[in-house]
Amino acid sequence: AAAAMDADASRQVRVRFVTKLPPPLRAPPTAIAVPAELSRMGLSEIVNSLLLSAEPDHQAQPFDFIVDGELVRMPLHQFLLAKGISAERVLELEYIKAVAPRKQEPPLPHDDWVSAVDGSNPSFILTGCYDGLARIWKDAAECTQVLEGHSGAITSASFINKGVETDGSLHVVTGSKDRSLRLFKFDTSVTIGSSKRIGAYKILPGHTSSIQSIAVDPSRNMICSASWDTTIKLWAVEGSEEDSDTVSVKKRRMNSDASGPEESQLEGSASSTLLGHTQCVSSVAWPEQRTIYSASWDHSVRQWDAQTGRETWNMFCGKALNCLDCGGEGSSLIAAGGSDPVLRVWDPRKPGTTAPIFQFSSHSSWISACKWHPSSWFHLISSSFDGKVMLWDLRTAWPLASVDSHKDKVLCADWWKGDSVISGGADSKLCISSGVEIA
Amino acid sequence: MGRADGEDKAALSPGGEDTADLSPDDSPWSDSAWSEDDDDDEVRPRSPTHPIDFLLSADGLSMLPPQASLSFEDSGEGSGSDADSDGLEEEDDAAAEESDSSEDEVAPRNTVGNVPLQWYKDEEHIGYDISARKIKKRDREGRIDSFLSSKDNDDDWLKIWDDYNAEEVKITKEEAKIISRMMKGKTPHANVDPYPDYVDWFEYADKGHPLSNAPEPKRRFVPSKWEQKKVVKLVRAIRKGWIKFDKPKDEPNYYLLWGDDTDTADNKRQGLSYIPAPKPNLPGHEESYNPSVEYIPTQEEIDNYQLMYEEDRPKFIPRRFESLRSVPAYEKALREGFDRCLDLYLCPRTRKKRINIDPESLKPKLPSKKDLRPYPRTCYLEFKGHGGPVTSLSVEATGQWIASGSSDGTIRVWEVETGRCLKVFNVGADVHHISWNPSPERPILAAIVGRDLLLLNAEVGDEETQVRTKELLHVGEPTPEDDGDKKPAVRWVNNDKFDGITLIHHRAASTVEWHSKGDYFTTVVPTGESRAVLLHQLSKKHSHHPFRKLPGLPVAAVFHPTQKMFFVATKKFVQVYDLQKAEVVKKLESGLREISSISIHPGGDNVIVGSKDGKLCWFDTDLSTRPYKMLKNHSKDITSVTFHRRYPLFASSSEDCTAHVFHGMVYADLNQNPLIVPLEILRGHLSSDRRGVLDCKFHPRQPWLFTAGADSMIRLYCD
Repeated sequence: AAAAMDADASRQVRVRFVTKLPPPLRAPPTAIAVPAELSRMGLSEIVNSLLLSAEPDHQAQPFDFIVDGELVRMPLHQFLLAKGISAERVLELEYIKAVAPRKQEPPLPHDDWVSAVDGSNPSFILTGCYDGLARIWKDAAECTQVLEGHSGAITSASFINKGVETDGSLHVVTGSKDRSLRLFKFDTSVTIGSSKRIGAYKILPGHTSSIQSIAVDPSRNMICSASWDTTIKLWAVEGSEEDSDTVSVKKRRMNSDASGPEESQLEGSASSTLLGHTQCVSSVAWPEQRTIYSASWDHSVRQWDAQTGRETWNMFCGKALNCLDCGGEGSSLIAAGGSDPVLRVWDPRKPGTTAPIFQFSSHSSWISACKWHPSSWFHLISSSFDGKVMLWDLRTAWPLASVDSHKDKVLCADWWKGDSVISGGADSKLCISSGVEIA
Repeated sequence: MGRADGEDKAALSPGGEDTADLSPDDSPWSDSAWSEDDDDDEVRPRSPTHPIDFLLSADGLSMLPPQASLSFEDSGEGSGSDADSDGLEEEDDAAAEESDSSEDEVAPRNTVGNVPLQWYKDEEHIGYDISARKIKKRDREGRIDSFLSSKDNDDDWLKIWDDYNAEEVKITKEEAKIISRMMKGKTPHANVDPYPDYVDWFEYADKGHPLSNAPEPKRRFVPSKWEQKKVVKLVRAIRKGWIKFDKPKDEPNYYLLWGDDTDTADNKRQGLSYIPAPKPNLPGHEESYNPSVEYIPTQEEIDNYQLMYEEDRPKFIPRRFESLRSVPAYEKALREGFDRCLDLYLCPRTRKKRINIDPESLKPKLPSKKDLRPYPRTCYLEFKGHGGPVTSLSVEATGQWIASGSSDGTIRVWEVETGRCLKVFNVGADVHHISWNPSPERPILAAIVGRDLLLLNAEVGDEETQVRTKELLHVGEPTPEDDGDKKPAVRWVNNDKFDGITLIHHRAASTVEWHSKGDYFTTVVPTGESRAVLLHQLSKKHSHHPFRKLPGLPVAAVFHPTQKMFFVATKKFVQVYDLQKAEVVKKLESGLREISSISIHPGGDNVIVGSKDGKLCWFDTDLSTRPYKMLKNHSKDITSVTFHRRYPLFASSSEDCTAHVFHGMVYADLNQNPLIVPLEILRGHLSSDRRGVLDCKFHPRQPWLFTAGADSMIRLYCD
């Protein structure tokens, strides 16, 4: 046995390190022989030492290695054996920066469970909370605005104009368990230090049960909301004039009811309703102008034509689904998780099969949220009731990283600024893990 | 045949010598003298003419002229002319064409029939034609003429004179050939094979029909006389002892020297059966007192034996002795003798009868668990918050919320999706049972709090529903029931603390159950005697107690899911009532010690009942009033049994801290019995105060099971 181990140790593989990283991180492309039992860490050390020899002030950092579109997650000889790659020829190892959060920012405290988060704006984070308040956090440090008005827990929140604000104000939509959506508008140029309370400028009632998820269309003119009442409703952001007129009476009545110093509120009605699901619609995504995807507790994922409101595709997966997101190449893959610890990725373009093309099953409880990276085709995060947020790469079945900063169920998660993972949970905290470098 | 006739004629011919004269005088071949001459080379072509007469006679076309028979005799010598006839063929072609076979078809001109021709010898005519006119005799050529013509024409020999019709006939070459073949005793036609291979046209073996359709002869049925005689003979021989049957068997004079004699018939004695001692191995060379050197282990090997395990060590180490005299006594003799005695002392006095049956084969054939998915398997969600054992739980109709009651005096409403506690009603007394109104428009909770029933507004649902619910949960005028001087069974009282209604029962109520429409509900007061099972109507705020007499203390009562039927479980029986006719329809005898819970299949025909001795009974009410299946699955009391409303699942929870999930398929086909397959044992709850799982309920739409434990936890098991 000792002799065998010796033989094992002495076995070497000739590899060549290639990369798409910029020059200071580019190792010489010569083939070198490395011990076959090296895994990711050993290979990282070699690359780091190569880089250090080229440039003396190089900072050592972890790398990940790709062979044939798959991340190396085991000792090299095992990997070669598993993939059936010959160890005779020179192995091309492409290295990328290891994707993992490097820093935990101080968590942002809330008064109740954080149930919704949106990180699509690079300077603000929007969170929704079970106390019915939505909060705007500037630069992940301080709560600048509190958006109030909901009488039930906020289940989802989203920036309407995600990028650069046009007239110095940002529009936000929130959906709540009080069966309504609210539209808020806030000034971005607010001095830090005052958490201003803002009421909704428009209320969108119409659902008969709690709203589970909302999505804004890519052109930022429409909102769709999914509800427990099995419907999906589409709403226009900018209601037409007569719409506002018709509700002015109601608005006054509501003003008289509400004794608070609220500004005048408009009421809108749904422009269309998508019927088809038989149980709670738990999640919606609107990746393209024409298509809406929805996931439901009736075990189905459905695709809708946003213009006609017709169902164009559906798929049954056998599990109640809680979350859904579209991403990958051309936003064509669907990731969804639900009442089991497996995050599944489907390709709706594949005809005749409803088998998921990827399954990630490292969680130990329900998946509560999943999000694709806004720019990368391969990376996605999932949060689960087991208190973990996991980073996934489609090229490996193991999680890239697992964020354990929550003490309780994680209810929502999102990317922020492309390099941070924000997640809110039942421990009333918004955790921010930054330094996720995705090249 | 033809040949035989010819011979006959030939045989007759000497007798008929004079008949030759009867033939026309000028016939060239009638004279034997001429024929004799024909043997010469010159006249050889003539020789085949003789068979022509034979042919004619054979065909029966004409009467055989008597002289023909004479000529036939001669033909024997003339048979050698075959070779020459070939040479004539070409020339005869034209003639052959002229005299085609139509001749055969034409009836003979003469109609006189088969009469001797000499009758017409002296007449002018030879006979009559078909129209009864006389046929004149024609003059024949003279001998000279014929001889000349035969010399002139090569084919003259083909001509023959037909006496019957009195005309000259010219035969074709083929006919001549046929005749020559017949003369040689061959078949007339060259292409006829006289001896073809035998074809057995009748294959009898597997043909359906017999060759003969004749009826079975009688002799086949009548006992054979000869056989009888034979039998009588044999019988006599046996009687007299001439024939002996039991010949003395010749015993084999050999036996298995080294055979295993365990199974021989001698050992199958009565009583204690013989168990042979195991056979020792035959001694080998190493057991010899003076083995070869290679058998004797070296000292090093002997030392190595000490390192081995006791059982691996060789039992015998070969040793060498100079002579048999120096072999010592067996040193283990005493020890082994003792061991043997010990074995005999301890050996069993009876043989154990053991049947070798594969235990797997005794199991019923059940479908695999994989095929019966989905069913609850793993706990993914825990609902924490209660401060005491959770006694009861109930799921809202849409499955969005659950409500639970606990001994800590609270009712909690939870969100299923996240496990968040939405509301806490501090009711201040033990909650024994809780039930959510099955109608989604009425978010009302009915709970047995302390000894009374509390109707609560769960405060979920939209504004309209809330308004309606609030209206519903208001008692206008508490109307005292006129039950004489007795205390009324139930009083409806507004509960201001929770904006609900309290139904004050005359005795402590134990369970509450809604009707599927959500207007009627029933409470059970175990000690209520004639007022033990009460029916209430929410919309009218009215109660009554239609069941005066029950066979024992009532435990639970449930409504039929679709029909107007009502099930009351007492300690030993389940009574099925028809609410419209107000009568007992069935009485299900469980045979259990004490029923603790009951659940009705959504189809309504099947009932499961859990008992306090850990048994679960499945009743098929269409089948029998006895249990269809009795499952002894729990080691402690069953606290709750429940059916799933959509999936073919049912579950039972028990004080032994487990919940069991079963597949319970009820088929629409009445001939097919329900299929029950145990699927999963759900563990996870901890025992608290010797109590385990107190309640279990299925999610109305998903294959999920909620269990309420005495460890103050609610668990959700998903597939």
